[in-house]
This record gives sequence, structure tokens and C-alpha cells, in this order.
Amino acid sequence: MSGQAQHVRPGYVLRYAFHERLWHWVAGFSYIYLLLTGLAFWSPWLFWLAILVGGAPVSRMLHPWIGLIFAVGVLQMYRMWASQMNITQADKDWFASVGHYIQNEDDKMPPAGRYNAGQKSLFWGFFVCMILLLLSGIVMWLPEYIPWSWRYLRYIAVLTHASAALLTIGLFMIHVYMGVFAERGAFGSVIRGEVTLAFAKRFHPRWYEEITGQPTTPRK
Amino acid sequence: MTNGWVDIKNTDMMLIMGGNPAENHPCGFKWAVEAKRVRNAKMIVVDPRFTRTAAVADLFAQIRAGSDIACLGGIIRYAIENNRIAKDYLLNYTNASFIVDPKFKLPENDGVFSGFDTEKKSYDRATWNYAGAVAPPPKPGQPPALPPLPEKVEHDPTLQNPNCVYQLLRKHYSTYTPEMVERVTGIPKEQFLKIADLFTSVRKDGDTKKVATIIYAVGWTQHSFGTQIIRTAAMLQLLLGNVGRAGGGVNALRGHSNIQGATDMAGIFDNLPGYLKVPTPADIDFAAWIKRITPTPSKPAQWDSFNYYSNTSKFAVSWLKAMYGDAATKQNGWAFDYLPKVDRNYSWVQLWDNMYNGIIKGVLAFGMNGVAIGPDSQKNIDALKKADWLVVGEIYPDETSEFWKAPGTSQEEMKKIQTTVYRLPCAGFAEKDGTFTNSARWLQWKNAALPMPGDCRLDQAIVAQIFLKVRDLYKKDPGKFPDPILKLTWGYTTPTSPSLAEVLKEINGMTFVDVEDPATKVQLKAGQQLPGFAWLKDDGSTACGNWIYCGAFTEAGNLTARRDPSDPSGLGIHQNWAWSWPANRRVLYNRASCDLDGKPWDASRRQVWWNEAQQKWVGNDVPDFKADSKPADHMGPFIMNPEGVGRIFGPLGAFADGPFPTHYEPIESPVESNLLHPGQLHNPVVKKFKTKDDKFGAPKDYSVICTTYRLTEHYHYWTKNNPMNVQLIPEPFIEVSAEMANEMGIRGGETLKVSSARGSYIAKAMVTKRIKAMQIDGKKVYQIGIPIHQGYRGIAEDEGKNARTLVNLLSPAVFDPNAYTPEFKGFLVKVEKVEKV
Amino acid sequence: MSQATLRVQKISGHAGSVPGEDTQRQYTVAKLIDVTTCIGCKACEVACVEWNDMPFSNTVFDNTYQTMPETRWNYWNLILFNEHEKDDGSLMWLMRKNQCMHCADPGCLEACPSDGAIIQYTNGIVDFQQDKCIGCGYCITGCPFNIPKFNKETKRVYKCTLCTDRVSEGLEPACIKSCPTGCLHFGSKEDMLQLANSRAKQLQEHSNYPNAGVYDPPGVGGTGVIYVLHDITKPEIYGGLPSNPSIPWTVKLWKNPLKWLGNVAMLGGLVGLFVHYLKVGPKAHDEEPDSREGAKP
Repeated sequence: MSGQAQHVRPGYVLRYAFHERLWHWVAGFSYIYLLLTGLAFWSPWLFWLAILVGGAPVSRMLHPWIGLIFAVGVLQMYRMWASQMNITQADKDWFASVGHYIQNEDDKMPPAGRYNAGQKSLFWGFFVCMILLLLSGIVMWLPEYIPWSWRYLRYIAVLTHASAALLTIGLFMIHVYMGVFAERGAFGSVIRGEVTLAFAKRFHPRWYEEITGQPTTPRK
Repeated sequence: MTNGWVDIKNTDMMLIMGGNPAENHPCGFKWAVEAKRVRNAKMIVVDPRFTRTAAVADLFAQIRAGSDIACLGGIIRYAIENNRIAKDYLLNYTNASFIVDPKFKLPENDGVFSGFDTEKKSYDRATWNYAGAVAPPPKPGQPPALPPLPEKVEHDPTLQNPNCVYQLLRKHYSTYTPEMVERVTGIPKEQFLKIADLFTSVRKDGDTKKVATIIYAVGWTQHSFGTQIIRTAAMLQLLLGNVGRAGGGVNALRGHSNIQGATDMAGIFDNLPGYLKVPTPADIDFAAWIKRITPTPSKPAQWDSFNYYSNTSKFAVSWLKAMYGDAATKQNGWAFDYLPKVDRNYSWVQLWDNMYNGIIKGVLAFGMNGVAIGPDSQKNIDALKKADWLVVGEIYPDETSEFWKAPGTSQEEMKKIQTTVYRLPCAGFAEKDGTFTNSARWLQWKNAALPMPGDCRLDQAIVAQIFLKVRDLYKKDPGKFPDPILKLTWGYTTPTSPSLAEVLKEINGMTFVDVEDPATKVQLKAGQQLPGFAWLKDDGSTACGNWIYCGAFTEAGNLTARRDPSDPSGLGIHQNWAWSWPANRRVLYNRASCDLDGKPWDASRRQVWWNEAQQKWVGNDVPDFKADSKPADHMGPFIMNPEGVGRIFGPLGAFADGPFPTHYEPIESPVESNLLHPGQLHNPVVKKFKTKDDKFGAPKDYSVICTTYRLTEHYHYWTKNNPMNVQLIPEPFIEVSAEMANEMGIRGGETLKVSSARGSYIAKAMVTKRIKAMQIDGKKVYQIGIPIHQGYRGIAEDEGKNARTLVNLLSPAVFDPNAYTPEFKGFLVKVEKVEKV
Repeated sequence: MSQATLRVQKISGHAGSVPGEDTQRQYTVAKLIDVTTCIGCKACEVACVEWNDMPFSNTVFDNTYQTMPETRWNYWNLILFNEHEKDDGSLMWLMRKNQCMHCADPGCLEACPSDGAIIQYTNGIVDFQQDKCIGCGYCITGCPFNIPKFNKETKRVYKCTLCTDRVSEGLEPACIKSCPTGCLHFGSKEDMLQLANSRAKQLQEHSNYPNAGVYDPPGVGGTGVIYVLHDITKPEIYGGLPSNPSIPWTVKLWKNPLKWLGNVAMLGGLVGLFVHYLKVGPKAHDEEPDSREGAKP
């Protein structure tokens, strides 16, 4: 979806509108807080992280609330982008060629739309994990309200929360690497919202075709 | 108790009935647990419900409230039939072999003994005597006197004479078969036989070593035949030879921490301190009184009897000297005329009836919540409305001091009440010194641990100041006969607040003259404390406030304050811990712990024994006996009885309702015919009051048996003011059997209304498996139980968190004719569900 | 007692070694509760509340003599009552003193993420240090006995301390002191086990309890509180005493294998991404030459 309301520099195209960028950062910043405090609770070797962000009891108190904000953020992104995240045959082909992608042989990749299969995986990964983290998180937020006869909820929650969190950490690491280091220009897309036409053409050719009306490389 | 708390650890077998010591005496109960743990002693519990005590017992049977005599009588019959008796003990230490007056008749269908006057509802007890008694010639103008006990008693050592006590006992309890026990008590026959077998097993195959104890409390006393229940137990223990032995005896667990002290010091109308009998109008002078109350020996000729009450005049004169000092002289019969002559019943329940009828105008209630404790609380409330004044000395505002605003009292009624109520703040137990006398007869001095708060005053200060004011008034306006007030000794250092140590010294007694004891050559100077009651004289040279306490505070000091825990014999005697009456003897009648030759029945638990070399009785305990009486002289161990032996048959005036206990139904009973005596349902000498507050219910309207009791977590009515106790048990409840709850559709926590003919009680239901439905002579009967601890004033009550009813609104004002204890433990009610109040 | 002492052998959420581990020649203590002689008098409940100056709770009637359904942050010691009908129809009224079991292998300590919030002394006592507690409630999940309880105002968790303040002064715990029937005993674990076993044997031989036994669950390494039960085969009748308690397996998984797996994976991920950047570098697109492709000015 390209909104033309925002002014875009020549040679650039708008990839993310204001509200899309905003919600991304709501989720993003809250995730960083959750990551830091979560890692502190996860490992004695990283417990000092909680002290860094305001003290351990404060961290324990705020973590679930920020978690709610994170959940809202992810939910908003779901509302904004879920319709664009359907896994198609093209995505399956993309996965089959992911080795080229890692080697930066992007020209050898089947053409991607607005979102490639990797990005779609990130989207769904975060969405599913958010739900798991939210549900298990609520149980862990208020363990004193879970009666002894329902203690199995607590047992499942601690394992689910940690496992889902680890999954999101893996996704996050890849996401930050890709967005900050590996794909130059990607970071700007969630700050100013615009990317160069070359960027669009190279990494999301189908999307480029949709928004410019011009073909890219001949379809294979 | 004949024995003591610590002594319980010496037992092999415990029967706990009419009592719940785990609940109400948890600290003393440790000794019962100790016996189990160390000696593998067995514990049998018989109770209307499965109690905290039953939870740690070896054998439990549920009994219908009020049928204990039937059960115990059944055990007596079992013991006799199965030869589980202590033969030598029975023959020589009890009156089992004595021949009874042939005119004496046992109750049969008619349910009464010989001599019953149906109009007067009392007995002419002349036939309740040993054979050979001769009535003294009648004095002109006076009713014929009862023949006293005969000096020489015929006895049959073979126990075969049909008129001997043993055969009468056997005949009387022959109808108490296991089948009958089941029909009357609801205890299934097999269960009853297990209990009878286990308890009497201490005498199986002629064993004389083992010992059994019987432990009871108000589950027995609080019946219209309570004294007779205890009598049955005492008889059983005499049959089994358990009295006088370590780990044996008949052991009452007193309730209040100093109730033993209260009864020792005559906190009851028909005794003087030391259980001397009060004078009546028929005692025209001191001599007549002493003659009447001093027993003369009555025994087989070859036996000896110490008959220690033959010293009554020494105790009486010494007491009168303590009371009236120089005003008590030989010439004026030791101020005998100063004593009130007790002409009728002034027992506790009777007093409230007197107040109800306008005879008693004012009440001083010290630490006694008469309205709550009942019985028949509404009657007590109505009685107070008629009194002129009420003084309540308490540590918190109680139901009695607020009788005028009891729930259900309308505004108009309140306005009509003319009673002036005075509330005096008193000190709590931790703020007072003095002695407590416990169930084991130990006088233990305690120091005050805390200062009194606010305006509180000590009990003795309040009583003293009232007395001194009254005395001043009598000085100003003497009236007809002020001497008993004006001549009362009051020689305390601080007359307005006598030191209790001084009072204890006065109770112990002293000598007015220099004196020497011929036997020991010990000398005392005039004014010195007496070492013991053997020093008491009836010539006016000694004073003693209570002969059984003589020895508690001697020239050696306040012996009640001793705290030496050493116990060399290991029998829990602790000779130098506090001081026990009488004469620091820890187990009463301990001569009976030895055979005829003076050798202990069980060498591993030697209490006292005859020392041939020293020609006297010695031991780990102080011998409760004449120290130099040789075994060959056959002196009886029960030195306080004129016979010198234990009474299986209770002759003459010993009991108002019979020389043998027999089963009667509680005054309100679901049973319409006494299975043992169809002609007499209730105790024939029990009286009923006739006010509008004295109503009784019939089984068709009130079909459920109700008993009342106490919980560990609360103490009567004062702990509902203490947040800790209220935390432990926050609300009143009614214990209902699961079957009854099922039948009536009651779930735990639902509100019930329990009603008797006298009043109603509202609380939540506790549905429990610990009370089961019972089969009484083929009819299903339910029992419920209600803890007593809540009322209309307390932490939860003041917040409106419960219905503010008193349990004793339900209970009837009928009482035992011997000890006057009310029947709290078995009356009729009906149970209904109500909306939450 | 703080953890700055050699008498502490285990510390929750702690990175690195514990200074006091295996440095003390001390025996473990144990509380022995002989359920067969407990009369449920609650002297021990009162003693605990009084010794620890805990504020009173609001309680309500719940068809039982039991003071409240479970322990609370301000009620650490609770007698659990159960009317149990045996197979032969006879009744037992069971009363079990319930409080922290002071496990040798404490689930609470295992689960706790906060450094020093839960410590175990060399004598076996497990103690919460509320000043280090972050109020996360992981200990509630880790405990197989439903003991730690949360205070909503202070946001900390509380439980029985086995009167460590008294024990360190050579006194017995308050509950032990108050027990009137002598059903509670305190001493070394070894002595208490010996006493317990002989009592169990006595029950088997003299009291017609063939299944009498000692409850000292091995699944948590044994406990600092052991019970003598009439019937060791049915611990659940004693107010739900778990028959084979251990730290919940999800907690164990979470704190051990998953921990290492996760840490390795995260570290591995970071390393892997860095190496990728070194080796492969960023992606290029048309206007921007890929710096690795030939040497262009």
C-alpha cells in the first residue's frame, strides 16, 4: 500500500506510512525493554541488566505492562499487514533458494512482493510468539491468583514463555541484522518511510512493479 | 483428681469419657500421649462425637449423650462376669464384703431404691446402711434421727452372702448386658465388648501389675445424674483395684485454672473450707454440729480405720479461730453462732431462680458471666431485670454486664429495667499473684507478670474495700447482730488490699502458743506457721484457714512457690515442685498401691511401701496413711471414710439419689421409657423450677439430642474479645452429622436455627463425619453439638458478623441433686434451616 | 541473616560460585512432626504468628476446624484437618502441620531469578531475603508444596523461616517450643530420622498401623521437615501431602537444559551474524556498488 499523502524525495518511493512506522517502533522499543529485562530474569549472568534499566523489582513490575504495550503493537501490525503476509507459491520458491539470499546473490532469488518470505516468516513468528508470550505472561504476571489445583498452567507458562522468548530473540537478531547492517536503506524505511527506487527494484521487484507500473527483470 | 497430671504417664490403660482433654487440656494431655509413646499405653475414648482426643486414641465408641451409667454399668458387669477384678484389693480395701441392711431394696422396674417418698420426691435413707445399725432413741419434739453407720460391720470374706455389697452390685448390674448397653447407649454390641475387654484387660488372668486410669470432665458432671456417673467410674476402679496406684485413679479434669482452688476454699454453699459440712438450723450449738458432721469408725471388728475426719473438731475450731480470732472462745462455742445456718439449697442455679422470684436483690459477679454460662440464659437475663443492683468485676464488658440490652430486648423493656449496673475493671490472670490449685491438687504460686492497665484493681482490694465499708456501716448502725461482721479478723498489713502471701499464710495456719510435737520433738514458738494439719488442735491454740492447705506456707517459707523439677523415682512425683494437698501427697490413697503385706503391687512403680526395719511407711511419695500403722493391723487405705475402705456401696447421706448408680434418662430425652427401669424415666429426686422461663420440650416436638462443649481455640466467653482467638475460630457453628445434613438438605456453611423449649440459637452448620446417627432401641436418633464460645458481645459480635445468640438460651435449668451441676450435656432441640441472618 | 556469610551454601539467581558452599562443618537440622500424636490444638500456629509479629488475618467459617484454606503471607504455619474414612468404615481425624518443608533441593531457590533472594544455609534452612526479592512469583511455581505466598502491598513473597533467627542462637523454633503434646521435635536430621523411624516401628508393632512410616521425600533430596504418618502409602489423605514431590519438570527444564540451549543459541546467533557480515557483508543494489565486487573508484 503506498500512501501518497507524505511528500517523498525524487528517486524515492514511500514504503511505510507514518502510522506503520509508529506502531513498528512502539513494538520495537517495548520489545527492547522486554528483551533486556527478560534476559535479566533469564540468566543470573545477565541479572545486572535489570538493575541498569531501573532496578530489579521495578523491572519485574514494568515488564508485564510493557509486554501489554508490545502485544498491542504487534496486534496493530497484524491489522495493518496481515493481508499482505499470505504465504504463496512464490514464497515457497523463495525459501527453496534461501541459500542464494544468504550469500547476497539476490539476483538469483525468485522475485519478491512487498514482503519476501523471510519477512513474512518474521511477521508470523512474532505474531504467534506474541500470543504465546501474552498468555503465558499473564499467568506469570499473577501467579498468586492461579489456585493450586490449576498449577499446571504455571508449569506450562514458564516453559512456553521462555521458549517463545528465545524464538523472538532469534528472529530479532536476524531482523536487526538485516535491517541495520545487511540491507542498506532498510533502516531508513522505518524512520523516514522512503526507500530508493533501486532498493525497491532489487529487493521487492513485484512491489516495484505494482507501485510504478513498470516491469523489472523479465519474469522467469 | 485422686492422682495427678504427670502421673498419667505411668498408666497402661486410659478410659477417657465425659471429657475431651486433647481439646480442653492440651498441656495436661501431653502426659497421656507420653504414656502411649513411652509405655505403649492404650487409650479408649467414649464420647457423643469423635473428638480431638479420639483422633489419637486406640479405640473409639460414640455414645448417646447422657447414657454413660448404662455403659459403665455394662463394663462393671463384664468385669464381674469375666473375673477381671482385683480380688485381694476388693476384699480388703473396699466395702464389697460388707453386709447391707436386709431392708435395703435395689431399684427394679419402679426405678427407685427403698425409702422413696413420691410426694416429697426424696428418700428416707435409713435402709441405705450396713446391717446391724441401731437408730438412736428419738429426741422429744424432733424428727427421728437417721441411724448412723454401725460401729461393727458384719462382712463376708467369701463374697457369697446375697446381702453383701458385692452380690448386690452383681445383681444390680446384671441387667446391664451388652445387648442392653447397645439399646440404651447406641454403642454397637461388638464395639462395646471390645472396649470392655480392653479396659478390664489390666486384670486379665489375675494380673495385679498393670494399672488403668479413668479420665473425665464436665461431660460427666453436667448431667442431672452427673455425680452418679462418676460414682460408677469410681466403683469400677475399685473393682479393678486401680485407686491409689500410680497411673490409676479417678481423675477429674477441672476446667478453670483455679476451680480446684475455688472448691477447696468452699466457693460453694454447702461446704466450709476443706470440705467441712456447713451447719444447719438443726445444729443447735457447736457440739451438736461437730457431733453430726464427725463420722465414727464403722468396720469389721478385726480391721482398723484411721477415720481421719474424726479430727473434724480440730479443723473446725482452727478455722473458726482463723475467722474470728480472739472472739472465738471455748465459752461461746468458738463463735459458732456467727456462722450462717444453711437451711436450704443455695446452689448456683437456685440463686438465679431466687433472683428471678425477687428473693435475691443484688449480685456481685466476679469473673463469672452468669448470663452466658447459663443454663437457660433467658431466665438469667430475666432474673437480672428484677434485681436491684448488679456489680460485675471483669476484664472486658461481658454479656452479664450488658444483660439489659441482650438481643431481643425492646426499647420499652429496656426503659423499664431498674437494675443499677456497676462495672468494676479487674486485673487479668497475668496481672495477679497468688496460687492456682490445679486438677492435680498442686498449689502453684505465681507472680504477676504484667502491671494492671488503667483503673483496674486487684480482686482482693475490691473485696477488702467493700468489706471495710460494710464493717464501718455496721459499726455506725449495729442492728440486731453485727458480731459476725465486726469480729471478723482482718489483721493484714494493708487492710484495703491484703497481700495474698499473707492470706496464704493465714490459710496455712499458725499456733498461738509454744508447742512441741511428742513424736518428732519438733518445737514451735507462739506465732509460728504450722508444718501440717497433724498440728491442729481443738483447744483454740491453733488457727487455720483451710486444714487441707495446712503445710503450704510453713516456717520454711511459701512452699507453693518451689520450682525444683527433680523426680528421682521417675514417677512424676516432683516432690519439691510447688505443694500439693494434702500434706504434699501426690497420689491419694497410695497405701492401696501395696498388697496386704505392704509390698507394692507393681515393683516398677513403687510409690510407698512398708519398711519393716523402720516400722513405718516410706516411699517416693508421702504416704497417705498413718505412718506407723503395721500392715498386720489391717488399717484401710481410704482414711477419709469412716470404714477406712473404698465405698462400692455409698451408704446413708453420701448421695441424694442412691447408694448405687443406676441409669436414668436426661430430663429431656428422646427415649420415652427407661429400658432399665420402665417405671422411672428420670432421676427421681431432681427438681424442676416452675417459672415461665422453665419450659421443657417433648420428643415429638424436639427430636434431636443436643450437647454443648468447648473448643481448644477459645476459652469460654472472654476470648471472643481477643483477635488471635477470633482468627483461629472466627464464627460460631453447629456440628451436624453428615447423614442428618443429607436428610435435611443442609450444606456446610448454611445457617441453621436450633431451638429448644426455652430459646433459639442461630449459627452456621458444620457438616461432619465425626457425629453419626445412632440407633437407640431400634429408633434412629440424631445428636448435634454446639461449641459455646460466642454470645452477644465480642469482636465479631460488635461488628454484626454473627447472629449474637448464646448457646445456653437452649439449655434447661435442671441440675444434679448432689453437686448441683446443670444438665448442659444432653437436652432436646429441633433444627431448621434459616436465611442468613 | 544475610548471604555475606559462610553459613550460606546455595544462593538463588547467582552467577558464579557461592562463597560458603561446602566450607562448613555443620549438620543439617530437621523438624520432626509426629502426625499420630498431633491434636490440632494450634499452639504452633499461634506461636508462629506471635514470634514473627505477624498481623492478624480475616478468617471465615469454612465447614472445618482449619483456620484458613492455605498458608498466607502472614500465616506460615497451618494445621490441615481431614476427616478420613478408612476402608473398614472407621474414622480418622487427621491433623497435619503444614509449613515450608525446607527441601534439600528447593524448587523455590531453583526457580528464583533474583540474586540472593532465596538462600539455603549449610544447616539446610531455606530462607527468603525479601530485600532481594523482585516479586516475580517464580518460587510459587517452583514449590511442589504450595508454600510461598505473595503480599500484594509489599509485592514480596513470604514463608516459614524454620525460625532461623532462633536456631542461630541455639533455640528451638517457636512452634517446637509451644507444642503441648511433644509431637514436634527438633534436632539434627540424623537424630530426627532415627526418632521418626523408631516411632514408625512402634506404631507398626503396637498401634495397629502396619503402614506407618516416615515422610522424607527423596524427589526433593529429602526435607528439613519430616513427618511420621500412620499410613505412608497414602500421604494425600493428610491435607494433600504430595506422594512423590519434586521440582516440576518444566521448571527443571527451563532452568537447566533450556537455559544452556538458549544461551548457546543466542551467543551462537550473535557470533554467526558477525561472521556473516565479515565474510559476506551487506547486500548491494544497483546505484550502490558492492564494495567487494572489483575495485571501483
